[in-house]
Amino acid sequence: MPPASFKDELVAEMSNLRAFAISLSGSVSLADDLVQETLLRAWSKSDKFQPGTSLRAWLFTILRNIYYSNYRKRAREVQDSDGAYARRLIVSGDQESHLDLEDFRKALARLPAEQREVLILVGANGLSYEEAATICQVEIGTIKSRLSRARSKLVEILALEGAASEPPVQQRKVGQAG
Amino acid sequence: MAGRSMKNPNPVEKATPNDAALDPKVLETIGRALKAHYDDLVHAPLPEKLLDLLAQLDREEQLEKTEKTEKPEEKPDASG
Repeated sequence: MPPASFKDELVAEMSNLRAFAISLSGSVSLADDLVQETLLRAWSKSDKFQPGTSLRAWLFTILRNIYYSNYRKRAREVQDSDGAYARRLIVSGDQESHLDLEDFRKALARLPAEQREVLILVGANGLSYEEAATICQVEIGTIKSRLSRARSKLVEILALEGAASEPPVQQRKVGQAG
Repeated sequence: MAGRSMKNPNPVEKATPNDAALDPKVLETIGRALKAHYDDLVHAPLPEKLLDLLAQLDREEQLEKTEKTEKPEEKPDASG
């Protein structure tokens, strides 16, 4: 029987879990199904969770297993084109990054899922290589090489090399009222 | 073995760069975009469906609590 706080911890991880699911599957509707199934499974198997370990990593592992065993095929069929999923979700429109976020999302969507997930786990969630390796059930070396290939691929798609040494283009509004 | 230089003096012409050769600035740019992208997703409001699920878990939790605290020692006559 799950302790009272377990549910609260689940709730706290929910947004992050959903973000991971969207990133992995490339589809919001699939992601929501995926999160739902993951939460239910986590809830019913809460006794398998070892207190003191990362709940996030545990949830990611469950979600990932469900995804690769049941959803991957479906995902290819319904995948929103070129990261359109993210566009629908954007709340704030301001882009501080030097990169256009829209371009970035398209590039991300073009990566193989196994590379994208490592980027999300390590790059966006700040998980360690060890944690990522456990979640993905591969060697640490594999995580490193996937990460490396993912970054290189992004650079290639975005044609970043060279361009990145230039300062960000900032549109200056020249005083209109004058 | 003669030490191979890790320097990458002309990154523009490199068709398939590897990670070691990536400009730290490029890596930083990617990292920042990745976080911005992910932050947007994390901060997106949860859909009705998942909120419903939470409510359901809440109810189950309450039920379990009640069962725990009011565990009957003997089977009461279930009447009424």
